[in-house]
Amino acid sequence: MRNLYQSFGILLLCLFWGGCTQVPEKKDRLYIVTTTGILADAVKNIVKDSAYVQTIMGAGVDPHVYKASQGDLEKFLQADLIIYGGLHLEGKLTEVLNKLGRTRPVLGVGDELPKALVRTDSSFATAVDPHIWFDIKIWAEVVDLIAKKIISLDKKHANFYKANASSYIETLLLLDKEVKNMISAIPVHKRVMITAHDAFNYFGSAYNIEVMGLQGISTTAEFGLRDVSKLVTFILERQINAIFLETSVSDRAIKAVIAGVNEKGGKLLIGGNLFSDAMGASGTPEGTYIGMVKHNVNTIVKALK
Amino acid sequence: MIAFWIILTGSLVAISCGLLGSFLILRKMSMIGDAISHAVLPGIVIAFLLSGNREPLSMLLGAGFFGLLSTFIIEYLHQKAKLQTDAAIGVTFTLLFAVGIILISVFTGKVDIDQDCVLYGEIAYVPIDLWILDDGTIMGPRPIYILSTVLVLIVLFITIGYKHLKIGTFDPAFATAIGIPTVLWHYLLMGAVSITTVASFESVGSILVVAFLIGPPATAYLLTDDLKKMLIITCILGVLISFFGYWLAYWLNASIAGCMTVLLGVFFTIVFIFAPNTGILAKKLKSNKNAISI
Repeated sequence: MRNLYQSFGILLLCLFWGGCTQVPEKKDRLYIVTTTGILADAVKNIVKDSAYVQTIMGAGVDPHVYKASQGDLEKFLQADLIIYGGLHLEGKLTEVLNKLGRTRPVLGVGDELPKALVRTDSSFATAVDPHIWFDIKIWAEVVDLIAKKIISLDKKHANFYKANASSYIETLLLLDKEVKNMISAIPVHKRVMITAHDAFNYFGSAYNIEVMGLQGISTTAEFGLRDVSKLVTFILERQINAIFLETSVSDRAIKAVIAGVNEKGGKLLIGGNLFSDAMGASGTPEGTYIGMVKHNVNTIVKALK
Repeated sequence: MIAFWIILTGSLVAISCGLLGSFLILRKMSMIGDAISHAVLPGIVIAFLLSGNREPLSMLLGAGFFGLLSTFIIEYLHQKAKLQTDAAIGVTFTLLFAVGIILISVFTGKVDIDQDCVLYGEIAYVPIDLWILDDGTIMGPRPIYILSTVLVLIVLFITIGYKHLKIGTFDPAFATAIGIPTVLWHYLLMGAVSITTVASFESVGSILVVAFLIGPPATAYLLTDDLKKMLIITCILGVLISFFGYWLAYWLNASIAGCMTVLLGVFFTIVFIFAPNTGILAKKLKSNKNAISI
C-alpha cells in the first residue's frame, strides 16, 4: 500500500515539474516565439538557422480571436524573445504581452513603428489598424526593427543578422516596386478592391487602390443591411467585375453582395482568395510573406484588369 | 508554478461561480451566466465611446454596469411581469445584445471591438498576466487578486445571507410571510452573480464561467438533497475539475478551458449513471428488485 502512495506521489511530482516536450532544448541558440506566421517568416529571413523560431498561431488562423492551448504558455515562458503584432492585432493577448515586456524581452512591432506610419480610424484616434504587413515598405521597416532587437540580444551573430536583414529588406523593396508596376497595369477607374473585412487599407494607400470592406476591421462585427445595398449600388455604378474572398474570414457577407448584384442584372465574379490575417500552409509558395504578397497581387490584377 | 497558478485560478472561479450557481439552479435561472456574457456588449461599446480606449479597466466598468443592469431587468420582469425566469432571461439578454450590435454598426464600424477581443480573458495567460508595481516589483498574476477578492465577497455574502437565501429560494411565500425581504435578497443575489461573472470573464473567458455556474451545482444536486452539502460538494468538484482539467490540457496540449469543461461533462455523466439514489443504474436496480419481490 505504501508503495502505491509513493508511486502516486512521484507521478504527481512528475506532473508538476515535467517540462513540456515541445519547447526545444536550447542553450546554444536564441529561442524566438512569434504570434503569427507572417512575423515568424520575417524572423526566419533574418536568423536563418542560427536561432529557433516557433509560431503560436498556425496557417489560416484569425489572430483577433485566437484561443490559446496549454503548450502556448510554455512557449511564451521559455522564449528568449517574444515578437507580436501589437496595435491590438491579437486582441487581449496584445495587452498581456505589452505588460510582460516590463519583465522580459518582447517586441510588439506595430507599437514600435513611427506613429506617422500607422493608420487610425478617422473618428477614433486610439483605434489603430493592425494590418501593417500589406504595405511592403512598412514591412521592411518592421524587418529592420526585428533585426535590431535580435542583434541586441545576440551580439555574437550581429554581422550575420545585419547582412541577412539588409539583403532581405532589399528584396522587399524590389518587391514593392514590382507590385507598384503590376497594379499600374489596371486602369485607374477599375482600381477598386472589395473584400469581406477591412484588412487591406495599408495595401490600398500604398499602391493606390480604393479599398472597401463590408465588415469593418473586426472579424466578428455583423455587416449592416444598408452596407450591402450601398455596396451593390456602388458596384453597379462603377462596373466592377470582381470581388475577393479572404482565407481566414467567412465568405457569407461577400456571397450576399454577389447575389444582390446579379439580381439587379450586373455581372460580378469572385476574383479569388486573398490571404489577409494569415499566410498559406508552410511548404507552399503562399507559405512565405513574399509568396503571399505575390499571390494576392496576381489575383487582384488578373481579376480587375 | 504555471500549473499552480492556473489550477488556483480555475478553483477560485469554480468556487465563486459554484456557490452562486447552486442557488441559481434551484431558482431555475442557471442560464443567467450565458445571458450576462451577451448582455455586456452594449456596456463595452459605450465604455469605449466614452473613454476612447480599450483599456481593461474601462471595459470592466462598462461590462460590470450592464451585467448589473441585465440581472436587475431579469429580476424585475420575473417579479413584476410574472414572466417565467427563462423567458425573462431570454427577453433581456437578446435585447441588450442586439442594442450592442446596433451601437457597433452605427458608431464604431471600423474599430475592432467585441467581447472576445476586449473583455474575455484566457486562463492560459493567467501566469503571464502579472501585476507589476511602478517600482518594478512583481506581485504575481493580476487575475488571482481580482478573483480572490470576489471569492471573499461571495463567501461573506452567502454566510451572512444563508438563511434568507435558503428560505427565499425554496419557499418565497413563506419567507415573505415571516417578514424576510425576499425581493431584496433576490436582487442582492443577482447583483453578486453579475459582479462575479463579469470579473471572471475578464480573467478566464466566458465558456469556463458559464460551465462552472451550472456544471458542479447540477452534479451536486444529483448527489444530495441538503443545500449545505450541495454547496460543499460543488466546491470540491470545482477544485477537482480545475486540477484534472489542467493536466488533461497538458497531456493533449489543448485549450485549458475546453478540457475543464469537458471534464465537467464527464463528472456529470458518471454521477448521472452511478449516483447512489438518483443515478439511472440505482433506479434500474430498484425497479428490478421491486419486480422480483412482486
